[in-house]
Amino acid sequence: MRKLPVYLVLDTSGSMHGEPIEAVKNGVQVLVSTLRQDPYALETAHLSIITFDERAKQVSPLTELSMFQLPSLTANGTTCLGAALSLLAERIEAEVHKSTAEKKGDWRPLVFIMTDGAPTDNWERGLEDFRKTKCAMVVACAAGQSAQTKVLKKITDTVVSLDTADSMTIKAFFKWVSASVSFGSQKVESTHQEIAGMSELPPPPPEVNIVL
Amino acid sequence: MSAKTITLKASDGSTVEFVDEIIGSGGMKDVYFSPDKSYVVGFFRDKQDFNAKDRLQTITGIYRERIFSQQGGDYWKDLFCWPTKIVEHKGKLGLVCPTYQACFFFKYGSINNDFLGIKGKEKEGKWFASAKNQNKFLAPEERGDWFKYLQICIRVSRAVKRMHAAGLAHSDLSYKNVLIDPTSGRAAIIDIDGLVVPGKFAPDVLGTPDFIAPEVIMTQHLKMDDPNRKLPNIPTDRHALAVMIYMYLLYRHPLRGGKVNAMEASKDEELSMGEKALFIEHPTDASNRVKPAQLQDSQLPQADPVKIPYTVCGPYLKELFDRAFINGLHNPNVRPTANEWEDALLKTVDLVQPCQNPKCWHKWFVFDNSTKPKCPFCGTDYKGQLPILNLYSPRQEGTFTPDNYRLMVYNNQYLYPWHANRNVWPNERLAEEDKKPVGYFVFHQNKWLLINQRLTDLEDKTEGKKIGFGEAVELTDNKQILLSKEDGGRLIVVQMVNN
Repeated sequence: MRKLPVYLVLDTSGSMHGEPIEAVKNGVQVLVSTLRQDPYALETAHLSIITFDERAKQVSPLTELSMFQLPSLTANGTTCLGAALSLLAERIEAEVHKSTAEKKGDWRPLVFIMTDGAPTDNWERGLEDFRKTKCAMVVACAAGQSAQTKVLKKITDTVVSLDTADSMTIKAFFKWVSASVSFGSQKVESTHQEIAGMSELPPPPPEVNIVL
Repeated sequence: MSAKTITLKASDGSTVEFVDEIIGSGGMKDVYFSPDKSYVVGFFRDKQDFNAKDRLQTITGIYRERIFSQQGGDYWKDLFCWPTKIVEHKGKLGLVCPTYQACFFFKYGSINNDFLGIKGKEKEGKWFASAKNQNKFLAPEERGDWFKYLQICIRVSRAVKRMHAAGLAHSDLSYKNVLIDPTSGRAAIIDIDGLVVPGKFAPDVLGTPDFIAPEVIMTQHLKMDDPNRKLPNIPTDRHALAVMIYMYLLYRHPLRGGKVNAMEASKDEELSMGEKALFIEHPTDASNRVKPAQLQDSQLPQADPVKIPYTVCGPYLKELFDRAFINGLHNPNVRPTANEWEDALLKTVDLVQPCQNPKCWHKWFVFDNSTKPKCPFCGTDYKGQLPILNLYSPRQEGTFTPDNYRLMVYNNQYLYPWHANRNVWPNERLAEEDKKPVGYFVFHQNKWLLINQRLTDLEDKTEGKKIGFGEAVELTDNKQILLSKEDGGRLIVVQMVNN
C-alpha cells in the first residue's frame, strides 16, 4: 500500500524555550490523535519529525501513525535551518519509496516547517539540497514576531505566520496541519499540480495568517 | 464558556435555531448543532450562486416531497439523511439536516480500550471497507458479521435505486457519504446536497477517489463545455455503487492491483483509476493481479484475491461484478443498475449458511454449490447434511420451470411469502403481512423438517400428502413440495448434500 509521508520540521532553538516548545509538543500530540481518528490517514499517513537547533536531527523516523511515539523535545541553541533542510532532503530520499516497474511507490511527501527566528547557518546550501526532492506540498510557518517570512518565502510559496508563539495559537496551527493532511490524503490522489498551493488546503483558522 | 444560540427564520417560514459553535467542518460547510441536537445546520463557507441556491431549494422542496410524501415515504427516512430547509445567516447559506441516528456513532470504537479515541465518532464507511482497519484497529463489537454487510449493501442499493427512479444522481457516492452500522446492518446516505439532475443541475464535484468512474477521470483535463467531457451522472453512480458493494463484501478495492502504469504516483493513480483501469480479478488479463508479497500482514487474508476470490459472493453477485468491472468498466451503459444489485443481493441472502466455526468473524458464507462446502473465510468444512431448496414457478397449467433461485436451509431458518410465491418480492413495497414467516426449518432427531405455520396449500407432492398448520414435512433428496396453489405459487425440489 502506498504511504503518504508527512514531515514536520520543527525549530527547537533556545528562543523556543518555555511556552512555545510546550505548545509544539502539545500540538504534535493533537496532530497525531486527530489523524488517528481519520480512517484514510490512519491507513496511509506516516509521520516523521526533524528538529533543528545547533544541529539538525531526525528525532522520529518516518513511522506509521498507529505506531508513532511522541519524541521528547527540548529547546536550546541556535537555529540551523539549512542543516534541517539538508537532512530533510536526505531522509526523504531514504524513506520515501520511488516507483519501479514492479512496485508502486509512495505518494510525494507533505512537509511542514515551523520556526520562530532567523536561520543562523548557511540556509541557502540546505535549500539547494531540498530543491532536489519532489514534494506534494510544503508549508512554512513563521511563529511569532522574530521569524523571518522572507527566508521562508524562498523555501516555498505557501507561508503562514502566527502573531504570537503561545499555546492557543500554536495549537490552532497544528489543528490546521491535521486538517491539511486529512484533506491531503484524499485530495493528493486527484490533484494534477506538481505542488499543491494554498487553494488546495482547507481554510486556515483566524490565528493562522497567510503571508502573501 | 457556553456559546450563544442563534434563531433564524427558514425559507419555509419555520424557526431554526443553532448553537454558535462549530461541531465539524466538511469540504464545503461548517456544521452547527440545534440546541436539542435533533438537527444540524451546515453553512457553506463560500457564497453560493443563483444556480446552487436553486438546486438546494429544489432538493429540500420538490425532490424531498417526491420521495418522502408519497405512500410508503416513511420507509426512506432511515435510508437518507435528506436536507429539510434552507436558512441564511450573515450572508451565508445554510442547510438544515436531521441528526444521524445513534447507531451511526461508534459505541466501542477501537481495540485496547479505544486507543484511537474514535468512540462517539461517526461510523464512516472507510473504517469497515479496509482490511487493515478491520483486522488491526476496530473493536470486535463494532465489526458485525458478513450477513450484516449483505444487509448494508441491500439498503444502500435500495436507496440509490430510489434516487435514480426519481431521475436524480447522487454524484458523490462513496464510503465517506454513506454511514453504515455493521452491528445492525443499517445504512444511510448523507451529503445529498450535491444531487445532479440531468439537464437541470450539473455536478460540482467529481466524486471521491476510489469511486470516480474511469470515464470521468479520463476526461477531467477537458474543458467543462467540451462535448467529450464526462461528468457524474446515473451511470457513474452505478460504478460507485459496484465499487462500494465489492469493498464492503471483500475489504479491498476492485481496481487497485499490482500493475504500475506510471512512475509518478499521482499520474499512476490517474491512469490506474481512469484510462488503464483493469479489474484485479479479470479472468483473462492477469496484468493487474494483486502481488501478495507487497501486502502488509494486517491486510491478510482479505486483500489477497487468491485467498478470497470474488466468487465467494455467489453466482448472482459474480455476474454483476463481471458486468460492472469487466464489460461495464469502460462501457457505462452496461453497468448493473441499483435495482439489479438489490435483487442479486436479496437472492444471495437466501444462499448463505452459518459457519460452524464459532470463532469465524464472518459467521456466514455463500454456499458454493459443491459437494464439499466450506467457509471460504476461515476454511472450516461444513459437517453434516445440508438441504438446498431449488425453487420452481408455474408457467403453464401444471408445469413448473426453474427460477434460478435457491434457498439454503439452516436450523431455525424461516420460509417467507416471497419464497412461496414468485409475485411477492421483499422490497420496500412489501406488505406488513408478507414480512411474517410462513414456516420454518429445524434439524430435529437427525432429520431436517419444514414446519408449516400458515401455508394453506402446503403439500408433499412426492408422498401425495397435505401438510396442515403446525405439521412437519421431512426434507429428503429429490422431494417435491408444493408451497402454494395461488397464482405464482412455487414448488420446491429438495437437494441434499451429505458430509
